[in-house]
Amino acid sequence: MYFLGIDIGSLSCDAVLIDEAKNVVSSSVVPTGVRNLEAIARVTKDVLEQSGISEGDIAAIISTGYGRTRVENRDGAVTEITCHAKGIQEVIPGTRVLIDIGGQDSKAIHIGENGNVLDFAMNDKCAAGTGRFLEAMARALEVDILDLGDLDRGAESDLVLSSMCTVFAESEVVSLIANGTEQREIARGMNRAIASRTFSLVKRVAREIDGLTISMSGGVALNSGVVRALRESLKTDTIHIPEKPDTIGALGAALIARERKA
Amino acid sequence: MMYDYFSSIVTGITAKLEQDPQGIHARKRYALAVATLGRRLYSGDARIAWCGVTAPFDLLNSMGVTSCFVEFVGAMLASTETAELFMQGAEDAGYAADSCAYHRAVTGAMLKSAMPVPDFIIGTSSPCTAGLAVMENMAKQYNRDLFVVNVPQSESPDAVRFLARQIEEMAGFVGDHTGQALSRNRLGEALELTNEATVLIKEIYGLAKQKPSPVDSRFLNNFGVVITLFMGTREGVDICRGFRDELRHRVATNAMDASQERIRLMWVQNRIQFPFPLESMLAEYGAKIVVDELNDVTWEPMDPDNPFESIARRILSIPFSRNADARVTHLQTLAREYQIDGAINPCHWGCRQGTGLRGIISNGLKEIGVPVLNLEIDCVDSRNLAEGQIHTRFEAFTEMIQG
Repeated sequence: MYFLGIDIGSLSCDAVLIDEAKNVVSSSVVPTGVRNLEAIARVTKDVLEQSGISEGDIAAIISTGYGRTRVENRDGAVTEITCHAKGIQEVIPGTRVLIDIGGQDSKAIHIGENGNVLDFAMNDKCAAGTGRFLEAMARALEVDILDLGDLDRGAESDLVLSSMCTVFAESEVVSLIANGTEQREIARGMNRAIASRTFSLVKRVAREIDGLTISMSGGVALNSGVVRALRESLKTDTIHIPEKPDTIGALGAALIARERKA
Repeated sequence: MMYDYFSSIVTGITAKLEQDPQGIHARKRYALAVATLGRRLYSGDARIAWCGVTAPFDLLNSMGVTSCFVEFVGAMLASTETAELFMQGAEDAGYAADSCAYHRAVTGAMLKSAMPVPDFIIGTSSPCTAGLAVMENMAKQYNRDLFVVNVPQSESPDAVRFLARQIEEMAGFVGDHTGQALSRNRLGEALELTNEATVLIKEIYGLAKQKPSPVDSRFLNNFGVVITLFMGTREGVDICRGFRDELRHRVATNAMDASQERIRLMWVQNRIQFPFPLESMLAEYGAKIVVDELNDVTWEPMDPDNPFESIARRILSIPFSRNADARVTHLQTLAREYQIDGAINPCHWGCRQGTGLRGIISNGLKEIGVPVLNLEIDCVDSRNLAEGQIHTRFEAFTEMIQG
């Protein structure tokens, strides 16, 4: 028996297939695009082809993410907050604070000793500090988004982007470039701005974070520059990043599918 | 336009009630009273006072003044989905788009001459000074006299005396503008009616506390704050009796569906005023609002022999008139009495009371084991609210509560 979790985010659609022993059998990440049904079909096809199992072998499907109700053959839909908390506990047990920065939202989740969600906070008013924000910044800096993470290496200034409105921040970056500010300093300023915003979310859910295991999921966890800035901001040596941070929501959904079928 | 609108509502509800004259229909009768008040405000015949939320409406009713707090207009425009036009008007005139939308809508309505011109204005420094600023603008716009009631943040004897003296002066101000001095007899009768209504309100809240609660998420929506407009009148007593009777009936007929009450919630401050599927959204997750922060009686019965001091004590007892600790203590008390599982704080945009105390309220409720969902939404300006995002937060919150 196998269990499938599908996370339909604003930027990427992810699927994770696990077996009864909770082993990840296969996973897939594709851009969601404008037709999320196609993305859902594609990740489902991917995980089946990779694993060599048939659709009939899947005992339960749980969907999550903003497009969770779009998965027609789901057995249930669970929010990304619960799924990310569940998924991270599996790969980094003992996580008590999870930072998840996805395509259009960022969240901090306080997790109890038993793995339950104790509290959560999300960005409400805009998508600043999320994957969409980074996409805009990469465009303004004329670099590939995958290269953004290492762009701040060697930067030392205290520059912080003053505006966190994605559009205004993009304008600010253009102005900084025009003024001759080095690309790496701008990248650092951008990462520090994201870290500052994320720090507030973390403090809203967990006033004291000393000694707590902090982990990060979501596609932005792959950006080493943001992670470094977050470590500085949270005054912690370690933020645990799972091997595939962008599939943690889907993994959590698959685990919930397994629990519900038990 | 507005007079016709309220008239059509009055006609529609009246026709529906006539189909079942013996039915209780508390919410419909309440809506009828509110629409009738709206019609009277826009009739051009009534003597009108625009007021702050904590103004003594029973005193004003006893003096024959049709009075209403301005936020009522903001809420009403939002509920009829016409607020955007007026808020845009206010923004076009330079009012900040992230200021309180209740007041932005009222300001826009005033600028577009969609507000009834008052005979005079009574501002109150509680619960918010933004409302007071609207009053000041209104006084200038309409060239009308403004009386400001300064509400101290204390219940000390000095504070009571200070406020009681202002209420008495306010009665003189009203008398000067209406040409009819306050009648102590009429005021006494009005306060007796207030007491009669208050006894019923206490019973309503007592019934709502039951587990399962006979209220659904919508039943007492806006009740506590709007019913103040009818204090001191027989109509107010009748409205309250209707609500009480309907809840008694629900309890007697075992009409409460316990399966719909897996999660009991408290709503902090104001509800969302524009059409929004809040109740059905919550019901999807077996959750319902059993108590609103604004639905409570925090004062002692009015003393008709000592009216100004009584009114002063009532105003000062309202947690919004006091400091953060008082508000948190009040919320904790409600949380315990109603045995709630969680609280939702909308943190209305641009509101000092709504956003300023967010952290303190959260921590205060968490201290007694009540989780809080803090939103950052606009309760009046639907342009600032994304339904999908709210859906996810409600769903995640209920998942969290259910473990």
